Amino acid sequence: MKNSIKVERAKLNLTQQDLADLISVSRQTINSIEAGKYVPSTVLALKIAQVFKVPMEEIFELEESD
Amino acid sequence: MKEKSILTVPLLSPAWKKIAFLFFPLPVILVIGMAIAQMDIDPNEGAEIIYGFWAIGFAMLNLTKEKDEDEMIKSFRLQAFQTGFYWLIWGLGAIMLINYYRFGNISSEIFSAYLVLFLLNAYIYGAFQYQKYMAAKDIK
Repeated sequence: MKNSIKVERAKLNLTQQDLADLISVSRQTINSIEAGKYVPSTVLALKIAQVFKVPMEEIFELEESD
Repeated sequence: MKEKSILTVPLLSPAWKKIAFLFFPLPVILVIGMAIAQMDIDPNEGAEIIYGFWAIGFAMLNLTKEKDEDEMIKSFRLQAFQTGFYWLIWGLGAIMLINYYRFGNISSEIFSAYLVLFLLNAYIYGAFQYQKYMAAKDIK
């Protein structure tokens, strides 16, 4: 699953640590999500979307392999 | 499905890690001490003591919270338990086959509850650490 968290973070000038603190996860988790190594749960994905104030499907996108 | 209380596994606080690590040198010292004191213990008994302590040590490490116990770590832990069981089954199967070809029977004296518990917990620990390593690799 692709995601645009890095782009959204840049728009708000947030670091990985800032985003991690806002949604109560570790920076490593944010890094893994951005790198596509970890697919977040629906709850976490909704929390991320809430921070960026955009619909979830604008951040996360299914790939052919999904 | 919301977690039912009967299914909840309470995790130990991170401070327990220090205690868990004591379980690794402790049985070795104990067995050496018993040998020095000439307590006349069977060599297999010594191995069982070590396996038992190490099984407890690894079990404590597997059930101790990480500093940031978030959903990724929780999913890593779940996967580690699944992978640990998988490796245990295949590992035991391999030992049984080797035993069969070498000695003609699939059971062996080396199979004990302590050994199996030690291997299971060690595999779970290995699978958990591997996932954490892979997640931390190439961190930007």
